[in-house]
Amino acid sequence: MFRNYFKTAWRNIIKNKTYSFINILGLATGMAVAMIVALWIYDEVSANKNFKNYDTIYRLMMNQTFDGVRGSQQALPYPIGEELKNKFPDFKAVAMCDWGQNRSLIYGEKKISKFGHFISEDAVSMFSLNIIDGSKNPLHDPYSIVLTKETANILFGNENPIDKTVKLDNQTDLKVTAVVDKEPKNSSLSFDYLIPFQLQESIYPWIKQHHKTNWGNNSWQTFVQLYPDANPASVKTKISNVVISHLTDENILKHIKPELFIHPMSKWRLHSDFENGKNVGGFIKYVRMFGILGFIVLLIACINFMNLSTARSEKRAKEVGIRKAVGSGRRQLINQFLNESLLMASFAFLLALGMVALALPYFNKLTDKEMSLQVSNPIFWLIMILFTFVTGLLAGSYPAFYLSSFNPVRILKGNLNAGKKSSLPRKILVVIQFACSVILMIGTLIVYQQIQYGKNRPIGYNNKGLITVNWSDDIAKHFEALRQELLSSGAAISLCQSNSSPTEIDSNNDGWEWKGSQPVEKAVLFSTITTTYDYTKTLGIKMLAGRDFSRDFADSNSVILNESAVKRMGLQHPVGEVLKWRDRPMTIIGVIPDIQIESPYRSISPLTIIFDKYWVNNLDIRLNPVMSASKSLALMKPIFDKYNPAYPFEYHFADEEYAKKFNYEELVGNLAAIIAVLAIFISCLGLFGLASFTAEQRVKEIGVRKVLGASVFNLWRLLSKDFLILVLLSCAIAIPVGWYCMNEWLKNYDDKYRTNINVEVFVAVTLVAIVITLLTISFQAIKVAMSNPVKSLRAE
Amino acid sequence: MIKISELEKIYRTEEVETVALNKLSFEVKEGEFVAVMGPSGCGKSTLLNILGMLDDPDAGSFLFNGIEVAHFNERKRADLRKHNIGFVFQSFNLIDELTVFENVELPLIYTGVKAADRKKRVEAVLDKVQIMHRRNHYPQQLSGGQQQRVAVARAVVNNPKLILADEPTGNLDSSNGNEVMQMLTDLNEQGTTIIMVTHSEHDSRYSHRIIRMLDGQTVTENILV
Ligand SMILES: Nc1ncnc2c1ncn2[C@@H]1O[C@H](COP(=O)(O)OP(=O)(O)O)[C@@H](O)[C@H]1O
Ligand SMILES: [Mg+2]
Repeated sequence: MFRNYFKTAWRNIIKNKTYSFINILGLATGMAVAMIVALWIYDEVSANKNFKNYDTIYRLMMNQTFDGVRGSQQALPYPIGEELKNKFPDFKAVAMCDWGQNRSLIYGEKKISKFGHFISEDAVSMFSLNIIDGSKNPLHDPYSIVLTKETANILFGNENPIDKTVKLDNQTDLKVTAVVDKEPKNSSLSFDYLIPFQLQESIYPWIKQHHKTNWGNNSWQTFVQLYPDANPASVKTKISNVVISHLTDENILKHIKPELFIHPMSKWRLHSDFENGKNVGGFIKYVRMFGILGFIVLLIACINFMNLSTARSEKRAKEVGIRKAVGSGRRQLINQFLNESLLMASFAFLLALGMVALALPYFNKLTDKEMSLQVSNPIFWLIMILFTFVTGLLAGSYPAFYLSSFNPVRILKGNLNAGKKSSLPRKILVVIQFACSVILMIGTLIVYQQIQYGKNRPIGYNNKGLITVNWSDDIAKHFEALRQELLSSGAAISLCQSNSSPTEIDSNNDGWEWKGSQPVEKAVLFSTITTTYDYTKTLGIKMLAGRDFSRDFADSNSVILNESAVKRMGLQHPVGEVLKWRDRPMTIIGVIPDIQIESPYRSISPLTIIFDKYWVNNLDIRLNPVMSASKSLALMKPIFDKYNPAYPFEYHFADEEYAKKFNYEELVGNLAAIIAVLAIFISCLGLFGLASFTAEQRVKEIGVRKVLGASVFNLWRLLSKDFLILVLLSCAIAIPVGWYCMNEWLKNYDDKYRTNINVEVFVAVTLVAIVITLLTISFQAIKVAMSNPVKSLRAE
Repeated sequence: MIKISELEKIYRTEEVETVALNKLSFEVKEGEFVAVMGPSGCGKSTLLNILGMLDDPDAGSFLFNGIEVAHFNERKRADLRKHNIGFVFQSFNLIDELTVFENVELPLIYTGVKAADRKKRVEAVLDKVQIMHRRNHYPQQLSGGQQQRVAVARAVVNNPKLILADEPTGNLDSSNGNEVMQMLTDLNEQGTTIIMVTHSEHDSRYSHRIIRMLDGQTVTENILV
């Protein structure tokens, strides 16, 4: 029985090559989209599952209220780690960690800059690092370093790295105590090296002075591991007041009210948004959205399959009639047709697999991931077989029930034409299919518009021709000489030091008082940039009032504000006013406009620029605009090699860093675009197939009309009209739905930071749909319209 | 074997109602060879389809081997049909995607005959209708007469008790037509009941009895033998 089904199915596929090709290609495209989306979702939801203690690792977080807003932060005070470890037996492990940084590692002649963390020794077991070689507790001794295999290979080549000495930042000798595997790209703790947390105290004197016992400075992250049987809720209750219990400032106790809580590892990646101190989801919404989109594309492909199969029904009808006449029951016919669609689905699956294999490298680049088809994993194949099976059933069910329901008498008599009614379901399917495609198009356009909107916002400074170099102790030592040489070389026209790059705000501070401020307002957070001279000159910021820090003045107690800060403080004539910051008087010497340093989609927070020679992480350099960037960089390299010998000369362009702020939107936009294009492609395949069948069906009618004098244009219009009406109907359905969805999406952005939805989008989408439809069906329509009518009329 | 009484079939379309069978009654005994004749549109094919359980009547009774089947559902009818009835059509109705062998094999597949057995039986009937040498050809590669011989082979491969033939020679020239008529006669002599619709007086002479129809009713019955 099955052999017979298979044979008929196979021969049907072979005999109708175009039809089969269109059908399989459409289904394969849909399956490929679904597979890629599934891989992407899998990658997202499986993030961090590489850590064995996935279920018991938490991140310590803290809610605080600033200016009436309860925010949730990961940054915590330095002493929290010791406190939790010593006073709370609830934790199996506690690991303090910094935010990670690129640092120079030197071994012999080898000098590299790699990314890594200061982290407590508990981290090794907590994150179940796979120690390839070396000590089991490799971060115990403060002067030790753990390297990933890659890093060790670069530094040591074939030598055994264990117990060798690596120089950190051209300054501190560290012993390599272990070599570990690199954690996967999608994990929340990735690094090239790890160094002991307490090492900071030895190499940075200010840590001991200012941070060791300071509960009010939140600059570190904390990971904890619970015992397997612990109750997270009760742990949270126990620790919630740990920070506040060490603080005495009335303002903090009354208004800021720091409260600790723990955030499980399973939620780090996809549920990382907080509102009013409550977890409100996060990227998961995009995971869900793309899941739905992937399913919709698959559905469109299945609809295609149904449409093409039922459109061809008149050709298959005879077979159905005969089979019934010779004794087939309906069940057997249903089985047969399902069998056929399963066969088609299998071919489509193989094609889809090929497509995915080819597309995956590009897709990985687009999404910055390391996804792969798990071809050696039997579970993968099991899922794929199931997937193909379900797709085949989904796509084949309607045709199977439809075809098998034919009345053999009517078929064998040759008058199946049940009139207009029988094509109604097919029309509904086409409308659904096109409506989905049009909604996707609308979505893509609006996401891109939103990106463009963000990019077009004036940023208030010039980020072209501006580079940033990481600060180092050597640079600090030779800053004046370095500066003079860079300027006199002609490569740079201005440079300044700062605590954060021109595309980031790394520090916020409360404790500001101004004329007429309430005690509560000491809890208002102001962004903090620290610098010395030439900040505005280097970044290309025009002062609105007053002046920049200057060598001609004593500026150590001066401050510059941005417009938002002036507004927040409600100052009429800010320049010359004296503020207080943690009881230190500070005089406002200048005001700058609101420059867009952080997200292009969020309102600019009030900013204070403070003169501080020691609080520094970056060197910002304005390249000479009349010189090419490559020439400037070439001139700079030997100067940096001379004054910053521990580091390879590495730099970041500010405009490139700024562009990365759109990564998120661009990812969403690009994914949506790809899905939209493929959905349209599939829909067009379906339309093409339907058009060809309609044309075939009406070949006799067209012949008669031609004999009676219809022109090719008349016939083209006749054949195109029906489809055009369907597509317009799709647009009519899709436009309100698309408008509603995108309106909801744009609500993620503040009022002033989102694009408007214009009518133009809908007009454009409708026009595109019409043009695509006409192009797709005209080929068939014109072919039929131009054919010789005598031939079609004789064929009876 | 077959007894129909007061059988009615009415086709309703939006505008018109066509009475295809109008209180038709007759009986066919086992082993008979009956020809049904009448002008185009008088209801012959409708009758044959009902007798073959491809279609159901609107009213009246249809006893098949003493069982009332007029109200059977599709599944029961399909079941009864596949074991008892073979069809031969004017337009052959072979499946284009299957070879001669596979077309003939089809009824056996549906009645669940084992593969080895099927091969034997199909080859036997193909031999009988002298089309064995074309067993691996597709219908389009055969002449009309050859195709109808395949159709007859397919109709008899299951050893049905009843063969229904709707103008089996309608699309054939006279020599091919005669061959097919001879085959039907042979089958009848071996005990198969045959009901055949025909326009041809010549063909009707192969039968034992002619039922003449007009407007859905029997007009006369001539016994020939
Ligand atoms: N599916 C149908 N719908 C409507 N009328 C039909 C249908 N099938 C047959 N008829 C009508 O029923 C009558 C008998 O048809 P049929 O049995 O095919 O006649 P015959 O085979 O004797 O030429 C004719 O008038 C025909 O038009
Ligand atoms: Mg007829």
